[in-house]
Amino acid sequence: MGKTAYMRLKGSHHLRQRLVLATLSANPIVVEEIRADDSSPGLRTHEASLLRLLEKVSDDCTVEINETGTKLRYKPGVLIGGKHLVHDCGLSRSIGYFLEPLILLGLFGKKPLSIRLKGITNDSKDPSVDTFRTTTLHMLKHFGVPLEGLELKIESRGAPPLGGGEVVLGVPIVPNTLSAAHWIDEGMIKSIRGVTFSTRVSPQIGNRMIYAARGVFNRFIPDVHIFTDHRSGPSGGRSPGYGISLVAETTSGCLISADTTVSYPKADEMEEFEDSDEKPELMPPEDVGVQVASMLLGEIEQGGVVDSTHQGLLFLLCALCPPDVSKVRVGKLTPYGIETLRNIRDFLGVKFVIKPDPTTNTVILKCVGSGMKNLSRKIS
Amino acid sequence: MSSGDKEQSHKAHRSRQTGASAKKKSDKKRNQESSDAEKKQNPKAFAFSSSAKAKRLQSRASEKEQRRLHIPTIDRSTGEPAPFVVVVHGPPKVGKSLLIKCLVKHYTKQNLPEVRGPITVVSGKQKRVQFVECPNDINGMIDAAKVADLALLLVDGSYGFEMETFEFLNIMSVHGFPKVMGVLNHLDKFKDVKKLRKTKQRLKHRFWAEIKDGAKLFYLSGLIHGKYPKREVHNLARFISVMKDHPLSWRSLHPYILADRFEDVTPPERVHGDGKCDRNITLYGYLRGCNMKRGTKVHIAGVGDFSLAGVTGLADPCPLPSAAKKRGLRDKEKLFYAPMSGLGDLLYDKDAVYININDHLVQFSKVDDENSAANRGGKDRDVGEVLVKTLQSTRFSIDEKLEQSFINLFSRKPPMSSENSSAEDNMLNQFGSITSEMQSGQGQTCILDQKDNDHMDGSGVAESDEGEDEDPRKEIELDDSDDNNNYAWEDNQEDDDQLDPFNRDLKEEIEFHGGRLRRKVISHKYGDRAGLEDSEEDDMDDHLADGSESSGDSGEDLDSDMETDNASKWKESLFERTLSRQNVNLMQLVYGQSASKSTASMREAHDSSDSDDGSDEDFFKPKGEREKKLNDKLGHDDINAEDCSKFVSIQLKDWSDEDLIRSIRDRFVTGDWSKAARRGQATDDDDGGDDEPVYGDFEDLETGEVYRSEPADNFEGNENFPKGDDPEVEDRRLKKLALRAKFDATYDESELSDEENHKSTEKFNRHQTSDGGGYFDKLKEEVELRRQMNISELNDLDEATRIEVEGFKVGTYLRLEIHDVPYEIVEYFDPCHPILLGGIGLGEENVGYMQAQLKRHRWHKKVLKTRDPLIVSVGWRRYQTVPIYAIEDRNGRYRMLKYTPEHMHCFAMFWGPLAPPKTGILAVQNLSNNQAAFRITATGWVQEFNHAARIMKKIKLVGYPCKIFKKTALIKDMFTSDLEIARFEGAAVRTVSGIRGQVKKAAKAELGNQPKRRGESVKEGIARCTFEDRILMSDIVFLRAWTQVDIPHFYYPVSTSLQPRDQVWKGMKTVAELRRENSIPIPHNKDSVYQPIERKLRKFNPLVIPSKLQAALPFSSKPKNTPKQRRPPLENRRAVVMEPHERKIHALVQHLQLIKNEKMKKRKLKEQEKRKAHEAEMAKNEQLSKKRQREERRERYREQDKQKRRTRRKLGA
Repeated sequence: MGKTAYMRLKGSHHLRQRLVLATLSANPIVVEEIRADDSSPGLRTHEASLLRLLEKVSDDCTVEINETGTKLRYKPGVLIGGKHLVHDCGLSRSIGYFLEPLILLGLFGKKPLSIRLKGITNDSKDPSVDTFRTTTLHMLKHFGVPLEGLELKIESRGAPPLGGGEVVLGVPIVPNTLSAAHWIDEGMIKSIRGVTFSTRVSPQIGNRMIYAARGVFNRFIPDVHIFTDHRSGPSGGRSPGYGISLVAETTSGCLISADTTVSYPKADEMEEFEDSDEKPELMPPEDVGVQVASMLLGEIEQGGVVDSTHQGLLFLLCALCPPDVSKVRVGKLTPYGIETLRNIRDFLGVKFVIKPDPTTNTVILKCVGSGMKNLSRKIS
Repeated sequence: MSSGDKEQSHKAHRSRQTGASAKKKSDKKRNQESSDAEKKQNPKAFAFSSSAKAKRLQSRASEKEQRRLHIPTIDRSTGEPAPFVVVVHGPPKVGKSLLIKCLVKHYTKQNLPEVRGPITVVSGKQKRVQFVECPNDINGMIDAAKVADLALLLVDGSYGFEMETFEFLNIMSVHGFPKVMGVLNHLDKFKDVKKLRKTKQRLKHRFWAEIKDGAKLFYLSGLIHGKYPKREVHNLARFISVMKDHPLSWRSLHPYILADRFEDVTPPERVHGDGKCDRNITLYGYLRGCNMKRGTKVHIAGVGDFSLAGVTGLADPCPLPSAAKKRGLRDKEKLFYAPMSGLGDLLYDKDAVYININDHLVQFSKVDDENSAANRGGKDRDVGEVLVKTLQSTRFSIDEKLEQSFINLFSRKPPMSSENSSAEDNMLNQFGSITSEMQSGQGQTCILDQKDNDHMDGSGVAESDEGEDEDPRKEIELDDSDDNNNYAWEDNQEDDDQLDPFNRDLKEEIEFHGGRLRRKVISHKYGDRAGLEDSEEDDMDDHLADGSESSGDSGEDLDSDMETDNASKWKESLFERTLSRQNVNLMQLVYGQSASKSTASMREAHDSSDSDDGSDEDFFKPKGEREKKLNDKLGHDDINAEDCSKFVSIQLKDWSDEDLIRSIRDRFVTGDWSKAARRGQATDDDDGGDDEPVYGDFEDLETGEVYRSEPADNFEGNENFPKGDDPEVEDRRLKKLALRAKFDATYDESELSDEENHKSTEKFNRHQTSDGGGYFDKLKEEVELRRQMNISELNDLDEATRIEVEGFKVGTYLRLEIHDVPYEIVEYFDPCHPILLGGIGLGEENVGYMQAQLKRHRWHKKVLKTRDPLIVSVGWRRYQTVPIYAIEDRNGRYRMLKYTPEHMHCFAMFWGPLAPPKTGILAVQNLSNNQAAFRITATGWVQEFNHAARIMKKIKLVGYPCKIFKKTALIKDMFTSDLEIARFEGAAVRTVSGIRGQVKKAAKAELGNQPKRRGESVKEGIARCTFEDRILMSDIVFLRAWTQVDIPHFYYPVSTSLQPRDQVWKGMKTVAELRRENSIPIPHNKDSVYQPIERKLRKFNPLVIPSKLQAALPFSSKPKNTPKQRRPPLENRRAVVMEPHERKIHALVQHLQLIKNEKMKKRKLKEQEKRKAHEAEMAKNEQLSKKRQREERRERYREQDKQKRRTRRKLGA
């Protein structure tokens, strides 16, 4: 009956994580000064879309935004999940932006989540859906989530700027809690897999990328298999683009990924190119192949059981475990990872013990989980 | 002498003839005999003859076995457990306080004048017990049940069970059933032994029925000199000490504290200004349940939710005795802590300890000091004794000293200008070292500042007045100069660094001496930090911690204390230092500095830099744009940075470079496996101790020695956790530990089962566990493995980080400071009512709809009514709320119920603070004590919580036709608006006569819904419906639908701690109560009254056949239009005159008929007579047969009786 105490936050950075953590810890938040000094102040379309998505998967959550969109008041509800949900992610960010929070929220829902997301599937900014399917989903098994029911189906692909892709995400609920992970053995890279995609371009582009990427890996490992996924017609979305997502698998079951996408820039970014009449030249596929291969090698060089993209998710999962010790090894801490650690401390009260490991230039993190339970699940 | 020894005849062992041990022995003997007997028997005789039967038996046995198993839960507690809470409960005047007094006396040999608040005693070498007397009101009972580990239920044997006992049992079963033991009291009131025995038997069985068969019921035979007999108290204490604790799910997930000390720490001036201002209070108690983090919110039962203003771990006021190899407890170790009762020797505060020393215990007053010193020599003097003596010897009073001393900020060296006597200085500086031989002074009590020893020289040393020998319990406090040092380890880290060596030394000494008072005083800080783990390995850890901490403050030059003579050691510590510095930096990078860095100041800096070189074009750009440019360079401190998990490093390396390739060559399976293995090994070493192979291997050029990095064994110290060299070894070690623990567990259990059932199935069971329990064993093993891993991972952290990471450990004695508490809690504080502080989990402070499965208690007399307020106890909380009851229909709909069903669970939904599913719920309607009946109204558990109410109620819309077309009708009065009709389009309707139909649409104006007069608007809410047949104007049309019931948003915390305890808490009243108070009659709806149904006979109009049709009909079908005649027709009126012949015939016929009638009459009479005779005969026969049967029966019974008597006689003979 008393007043709800809101947690006050500033700025739009890491809004995604803050919303997810607020929902999981049932902690109402107020975010102020969202791009207050910007030329276009307030929430971006993708952020608004994310809020709408949260309303979709939860029950009775309230979102209040002021007129300029610079202030957001979010009071989380109970996570429900459910089947046959549809969400249009818009075109300002790709689906990968929405998948990361969804997977966490889905785990702690009342019912298993099955949602169809529409928008851009591959993007250079966010992890692509291929990476998500091959790497992110497999991360969860280290935390005791069964892989049954955990799936991502790519129905059609859509490259920026016009998108037109569709994926179906299925996330099971955890019956009670996750289980703490002791995950420090990175192992040795035993194979490299990957998938290229190309929409509305020549099917040969995929092969050219693969050829270039293999050329880089030849010095290291022979076991490289990269598949092509060429989409045409309606399943190819509305704009041309191509890209590649690579996964390195280690002997201890760690997956290290890198991906990239090449496409024409989005409408808002196009303005920068307005002086030139014709569309800007896309990066040739050979260069893309080499680039992504060296990105993957860069990730491998850094070490750790996950790549830099998945650090945040890894930390979040560790913090959501029962109060046992989780121990993980990552490469260099990314800014995103660091900010995740801070957010975890603020919302869940979990602090990590961070120890560098100078021999391998990696970092070992330990934490005692917050003991998060799936409270919304019905007991009968 | 030896010969004499030989000759001496020892007393022979006398085996017990009576009592438990004798019985045990005889049992054993009998068992042996029986097993022997079994062997003699034909083994085939007891084999299964049928396979079906064998199968059945086997399945039954395995079922029983499986039912016994529970999912193993992980025990996350380490270190000393908190004292075992024994709640003594019983109706008033049954002897609760006396029992506690007797038990305390038994444990500590001290008389307790009054039982107030929890009383902690050390009951054994491994066990402490906290006694709590359960208050008699229902709120107190609920709180007590939530903390009890063992409940002693006192029952007045002369009276029998009282409702309180059963109420308490029910409360406990809802909030997690702790161990229960009944204690039957007042048995001396029975004069008749037989009656006593019978009563015992009866009560025992009643007790068993309530708990389980074989539940322990203890008998106290009566009072001797106003106390219970010593022997019986001893036995009871024995039962208490062997009681095992088992985890209860709610408690193992929430931290909680049973406060055994309560203080109001509001600044007095504030209270003086306004007596009713919000207070600051401190509560002290052992942490139980699970670890508590700093930010945890707490609920004080009966008050409300608060956030903690400060948490401090204190030294254990009632510690377990140090591990010395002896059997029992020494008298000195029989500690006793009961601050609310005003007893016990020690009182701990955050920064001071108060010691009460009795006169007769003090053996070193100044007078006889010289003698004793001579006797014993200085060597084996106790540390504390020395301390006391040095304190006694001080010559200056505290303010004098304050004047003379000055505050020392930087150097830890003794103040040069101090004018105190040099001897004293020496003592103070080397506080810990036992070398100081000074001994003088005579004060008997002292309080030592134990927090900051180095403040002693700065601020003050208390000094007992010489002349106060006659006051045995005097308390003086050593003032702590540093008031803002709230958190010992946090703020005073630097201080600690300096102090630790002292403390460490001291501690060691003290362990050796084992004196109870002094030890605690000095080891306070360490007790706080290390959780009172003792012995050498602890020291090792301390050493480590010292190293890292002191290296943490970089500005500090090397401490002389740290500097050891061994050069290599010095170097080792250097390595540790560099390493730990790195560690600290990374942690600081993430949590410390950058988090505290204010973004605002950052921006200002940008602005200023901007204004310097602000160009014209920038002038028209918003501030953010400019900043963005800057931030592009600066990186990630922008509060509006883009949210992107992908981290794109801009410069990609060219991987054709050979050097680069070589650098990651070994990360691939094609590379060097041994190098990769080393990589793994190195990491493992690293996460154990802070020792570092890369920097660890080096050659000291000065001495020419080669130092190799060693495995971290020496740092771990503890033999239980030797560090493995590589992950497999480590794994194996953990597994081994787990296996051992598992074996211990199963061994324990099988023993238990032995005790529990001496059945023959036992053997079978064990067989089952050995091969069928594989999964269970695996689970257990996993749990144990996880536990060992947790311990080993957390062990290598220093205490400060450890508290930060995992929170305060279970069993720590905590001081909790809470601000802004209503003043009533202080005013109406009653030590007899234990204060319960429960931690609130994630999301549990939120409010929402709780959905519970609820069942009215079968002893509660009335059914419960929906929307009658109910006081529920869920989790730690108690609050009043308004539930709505419902039941689930076959189709999953929740239908509202007006009243709870009689003997079933029903669904209840109410508004309140959320509790996780599976939490028990207890409902009470009335809190008053003098209510005669059973106070517990209902029990249940939380099913789920939700933010949406979804209980439905049946609703019936009634309408009347206003215009009827063929099969269509316009229905009025069913809906109020066209909008409403739109909502109900397609809904099924029905008339009373059973004609079904459907709502179509709102009636249009042109279709018979014209306004009556011109200008009048069209009437809204008239629906067009179609039916399967034409309805009548007299029909009534129904629409049956469901509507959602809204659940009142009401909950009100029961704040019994904020009012005098003797007052009954007043909450919302039920409607019935309000009516009764204001004498308002129950409203009476005339329509609901049942009346005899009078149905008018329906009058049908005459059938009218149109004339055209009539004309076409055949004559037979034509209505014969015969108008009704007034006068009878002519045929009836005329007279008939017969002819003579006809008359004859008529007469004859009449005669014949007469004859026939006569005949029939006669025959009838005859038949009647015959029947009567027959009936009489039958009755007679019946009677006869009855008589005969009776005779026969009697004969038979007599015979049976005789036979019985004969056999009895035979048996008797």
